[in-house]
Amino acid sequence: MEDRIASYEPLVAETTPKFPPPRSSSFGDPHQQWNADYGIATGDRRFAFSRQQSFRQSDLPSPFPMQRSQTLRPHQLGRSDSSISMPPLEYGKGFGLKSSEKVTAAGVMLSVVRAIRSGNRPMKRLALMISLNVAYSTAELLIGIFTGRVGLVSDAFHLTFGCGLLTFSLFAMAASRGKPDEIYTYGYKRLEVLSAFTNALFLLFMSFSLAVEALHAFIQDESEHKHYLIVSAVTNLLVNLLGVWFFRSYARINIVYRKAEDMNYHSVCLHVLADSIRSAGLILASWFLTLGVENAEVLCLGLVSVAIFMVALPLFKAAGSILLQMAPANVPSSAFSKCCRQITSLEDVSGVSQARFWELIPGYTIGSLSIQVRKGADDRQILQYVHGLYHDLGIQDLAVQTEHL
Amino acid sequence: MHRENSPASQIIEVNIDVPACAAEVGVRKICGGATCDFSDSKTSSKDAKERAASMRKLLIAVVLCIIFMSIEVVGGIQANSLAILTDAAHLLSDVAAFAISLFSLWASGWEATPRQSYGFFRIEILGALVSIQLIWVLAGILVYEAISRIIYDSGEVQGLLMFAVASFGLFFNIVMAVLLGHDHDHGHGHSEHDHNHGESNSDHSHHDDDHEHDHTHGIEHKDGHEPLLKHSHDISTANSAKKKKRNINVHSAYLHVLGDSIQSIGVMIGGAIIWYKPEWKIIDLICTLIFSVVVLVTTIKMLRSILEVLMESTPREIDATRLEKGLCEMDGVVAVHELHIWAITVGKVLLACHVTVTPEADADLVLDKVVGYIRREYNISHITIQIERQ
Repeated sequence: MEDRIASYEPLVAETTPKFPPPRSSSFGDPHQQWNADYGIATGDRRFAFSRQQSFRQSDLPSPFPMQRSQTLRPHQLGRSDSSISMPPLEYGKGFGLKSSEKVTAAGVMLSVVRAIRSGNRPMKRLALMISLNVAYSTAELLIGIFTGRVGLVSDAFHLTFGCGLLTFSLFAMAASRGKPDEIYTYGYKRLEVLSAFTNALFLLFMSFSLAVEALHAFIQDESEHKHYLIVSAVTNLLVNLLGVWFFRSYARINIVYRKAEDMNYHSVCLHVLADSIRSAGLILASWFLTLGVENAEVLCLGLVSVAIFMVALPLFKAAGSILLQMAPANVPSSAFSKCCRQITSLEDVSGVSQARFWELIPGYTIGSLSIQVRKGADDRQILQYVHGLYHDLGIQDLAVQTEHL
Repeated sequence: MHRENSPASQIIEVNIDVPACAAEVGVRKICGGATCDFSDSKTSSKDAKERAASMRKLLIAVVLCIIFMSIEVVGGIQANSLAILTDAAHLLSDVAAFAISLFSLWASGWEATPRQSYGFFRIEILGALVSIQLIWVLAGILVYEAISRIIYDSGEVQGLLMFAVASFGLFFNIVMAVLLGHDHDHGHGHSEHDHNHGESNSDHSHHDDDHEHDHTHGIEHKDGHEPLLKHSHDISTANSAKKKKRNINVHSAYLHVLGDSIQSIGVMIGGAIIWYKPEWKIIDLICTLIFSVVVLVTTIKMLRSILEVLMESTPREIDATRLEKGLCEMDGVVAVHELHIWAITVGKVLLACHVTVTPEADADLVLDKVVGYIRREYNISHITIQIERQ
């Protein structure tokens, strides 16, 4: 087993150059033996017809680059692994979303600290930012309560919500390293997409509430000069700009997502970016008020609300389309129909039906289809051909049902 | 279609496209087009009926909410009371939650497209997720309001007014909860509720008629649902009780209303305490905190089921190990691997796996047996099996 693990590590290292390869321990359970088969070199009969092997033996005309199968991302997920057939020792050892073990607070804290320490650099930075934010918001809340300033309290609440979300992102980063088990047969990587979606949703809520605040200020027409908020706004801005600097490679609105973590990091970056836009807007509004511009608060709040909405919307749409099981965005539908035509052009195949594809995470597509084949035709060749065709499109996991007519 | 007139006989040629479904003999495994399985005529009409019933409930709830909210806004402006206006804002959030649920229900009935090959059923789940996030945000806002009530500790906070507004809100929320949570259950339960509504205020009188309407609809649904529920009762190993399959969006709207009524109770208690002993303001905050936590706890169960669907995990009611064992025991089957069972929404399950068979087995026969077994035993409708020979 050791040589199999050894052969796995360099695969991961060459596909994730920036960060150290994830540890083989799943979150919170470092003593769990990782014995998932990563299938190519195994002598196990179950994998006799796994895709990778079949393509090595294939001599079909479709040009299939052999190297690609080696560097496939799915190995990180253990795709060719029959997760159901793992030995009974593994039962219930999956990441504990359904675990029946007793969870004590101390145990949770310990596992959190352990996970952060073993995490990669973005995780550590995110943990640092969250702790800064928590400290700052607690201080603001206490000061606000004891000095009786409602503005500080509302700002502290706002920050606390943001911290909660960032903590969920951190949790998703840590938990998504878990290996697939019986319940979560596709692994835990979807958590990152989910956290990206939640972050984007929260940003949309925030923009909506800022719009309501602007409306409120417009109707009330008495702008209380909240000068004491300036100090808090400046500090907030600095902390959030530090966060943007940490995640500076993701500080764009439209990003092509290649891995699951891309979405999560992008969502964290957009979150801190939106917070800094809001603080900057507050500072600007104060400055305009001192300059004597009327309705400065309304203007600035409105601008900030629109800006945050536009920043959050593309991520919301992208994460939402993955969660909605939409067909992969990077593959045009003409490519799919071309594949269908190529399959039906085979002499033994009479039709293709129920071709469905969906993305588990950005960069990993799963599909299923059924083809109608003439009786007596050679299944294996047709299967290899179909798998090869879709593999070229980037669809790693395909289940093809052949029906003989 | 053309006719050839020949002296010996008349030959009529008919060109009709025979749909692939009709051409299949035996078990229907093939359907034409990407949309067939998820828009089966048999299941989609049942779906549509369920959906229409749920949408009607939610529509009634939205209309009632809007009427009530406008009453409160007018009253609040006239009385110049911030508390009433805040409550009206909360009702606005109720309307938002119902609107989200309504939209999700309506959108989940859209036809599948090539880009959205599984249909739009997932929108239900995402809509429920958004709804629950809204509940959490609102709970946070309420706690913030409680804290700001402490800070503004001049006599601006009138306990009596708070109590009155909160009790009004509680009554309204209970009415909505009954309307939404009301499912096609026991007949005698219906008459009980009719009694209660008969005693309620006059401005809810139209509510009775709508309720009657719901009842009759409910009864005819009961017959249609009985066999389905019994079947799932037979096959599910863990569930011994008859599970109510409430639509997830109606359920999330119901949770929203339930959370609101719980919080109204908290505000009522706080208002009563402030009215009775204005110096015990801190109790108001503690009450609000406790009740907010209670509201969050009620949402956890639904959040868990949403999370399980979104993570493409094996649904709870299906025992994957037993299924795999059952498959392996069939003759001809050597091994099963890459078994994935996931749900597109609560209640619609899909399965995909690779089955290795012995070299001399008849692939079609094994496929038929496997598909039949899974359909019969586990009621999974959409199955894709890749048969591989050893």
